Amino acid sequence: MSRTVTIEPVTRIEGHARITLQLGESGEVEDAKFHLTQFRGFEKFCEGRPYREMPALTARTCGICPVSHLLASNKACDHLLSVSIPPTGEKLRRIMNLAQLTQSHALSFFHLSSPDLLLGWDADPSVRNIFGVMRQEPALAKDGIRLRQIGQTIIETLGGKKIHPTWVVPGGVSEALTREKRDAMLGLIPEGLEIAKRTYAFFKTLVPRFTDEANHFGSQPTLFLSLVTPRGNLEHYDGFLRIKDAQGRIVEDMVPPIEYERLVGEAVEDFSYMKFPYYKPHGYPGGIYRVGPLARLNNAEACGTPYADVALAEFRMLQETGPITSSFHYHYARLVEIIYALEMMDRLLRDPGILDARVRARARSNRYEGIGVAEAPRGTLMHHYRIDDEGLINWVNLIIATGHNNLAMNQSIRQVADAYVDGNHLQEGMLNRVEAVIRCFDPCLSCASHAFGQMPLSIELRDAAGRIVDTLRRG
Amino acid sequence: MIGYGSPIRGDDAIGPLAADRLERAGVPEGVEVVSRHILTAELVADLVAHDRVVFLDAAVDAAPGEVRCRRIAPDATAISTMAHFLDPRELLAWCETLYGRFPETFLVSAGGASFGYANYSLTPVAEAAIEPMLDRVRRLIDRPAGPRSDPS
Repeated sequence: MSRTVTIEPVTRIEGHARITLQLGESGEVEDAKFHLTQFRGFEKFCEGRPYREMPALTARTCGICPVSHLLASNKACDHLLSVSIPPTGEKLRRIMNLAQLTQSHALSFFHLSSPDLLLGWDADPSVRNIFGVMRQEPALAKDGIRLRQIGQTIIETLGGKKIHPTWVVPGGVSEALTREKRDAMLGLIPEGLEIAKRTYAFFKTLVPRFTDEANHFGSQPTLFLSLVTPRGNLEHYDGFLRIKDAQGRIVEDMVPPIEYERLVGEAVEDFSYMKFPYYKPHGYPGGIYRVGPLARLNNAEACGTPYADVALAEFRMLQETGPITSSFHYHYARLVEIIYALEMMDRLLRDPGILDARVRARARSNRYEGIGVAEAPRGTLMHHYRIDDEGLINWVNLIIATGHNNLAMNQSIRQVADAYVDGNHLQEGMLNRVEAVIRCFDPCLSCASHAFGQMPLSIELRDAAGRIVDTLRRG
Repeated sequence: MIGYGSPIRGDDAIGPLAADRLERAGVPEGVEVVSRHILTAELVADLVAHDRVVFLDAAVDAAPGEVRCRRIAPDATAISTMAHFLDPRELLAWCETLYGRFPETFLVSAGGASFGYANYSLTPVAEAAIEPMLDRVRRLIDRPAGPRSDPS
């Protein structure tokens, strides 16, 4: 008799999800699915609003990464205005994006994933949490808090202390940077960089312990999609789209982001509210790809900052040849990116033109369609709007980083379930590994479904007739 | 003074709106006012740096407009399943576990009448509760310094 295991809620992720594992007659995994169970509908209720409201509206998609939506949305509005924003305005936007990346990656590593990495997948769930980490590694936990504080302080220094900053505007930013603010932010970077380097050095010592997980946590081949600079280096704000395959061959390169529809199609399935983007030329579901820190590092020729480039070289040694395929190494990639973000913020803040007063281009809408693409912490974020003669939105499409990874997340839980789940002897540690592979992607399901509310997770066990015979539920 | 809540969920915004009004009206030296959509981990570092903390929030378990003030303590079990935001009691538990201390902490809340989505304004009853909330807050500000935590 086959059964289905349901993991619900999936814990230590952002949003509400369920995992189901369909087991066969002898307890082997026959199928695995990641379900996003809530619906929000941002794309629909934005219709009819003035396009200038879009940055403020879409920033509210997420309480965690509003800056990412703010940037992608404003870039779409820049496109509607048909303006090229002043260089200083662009640099200031970049700094805010990197500050967001720093604090988001810090949360993912220090607070959401460290319980598994430090305390073990099979540890008692009552201690395998952030309090367990605080007791075992208090200095590491304090570092995580401080790194988040540094990222948040930089965002607030630029955007003000409002919940959703309105400093980034169509055409640039609303206010130039003062010398005092610049110096205050520069003063934070050395400490942040020391924390990042220290954490990276520590994590490198842990990685060899996880060879088995690295081999089974989403290590199957996929494509990788990200922005790169015109030189092919690491990029988070602008640049061009690149797609690389699992052998390291460049499949698409220097594609202007406004041509994303040529690359990306979106499928839907009846078991989830999250869409299933795929690489169009390979069709659905064969066009599976990953985005985010792992994809960005795999696609980049170099980071372009000193210490991050050393870390990137070490990252590439995780595997003998080709791009790093295991999704387990998203954790490693996040730490490399934190180092990069701090080094790059330092460079941008020291730029001779960073205090220039010309930070905003002003115009009315000059086209009917606008596309904005930026790299959010979790991957490539795409905003696409159409407007009418009055500047009112009549169509919206948002493709969120977590959505891009949907096919890969489903493939990954199947692989982990195959490796670790024995339906005849279900153990919590097995199910935690199934959850943990999802946490590698650091999904933000509030954004991806544009889902609303809490996101606990469950694992459900079903028999061959589809009857639920066991459930593990949290939240 | 930390006001928190969603600015697009009707009366849920009462915390940050009250905090904003408090800041505009002015506060004594040494008092810091912040508004947050959600409570996040980095606030722990701010909490331990202060002697007294007052959270301002909307309540769903109180009559609309009813203002409450209560002292709160660390509670490591008050864990949000939404990994990216925290309950104030959990934040205090982080302080206690990591730093061995936590500030004297109060929660001033007001019952909300409507938490509808995409609603950018307070109901009249919630609006009317802001001043009574701020009265409580000002009394807490004026209160003589109490003992900091003594987790031992």
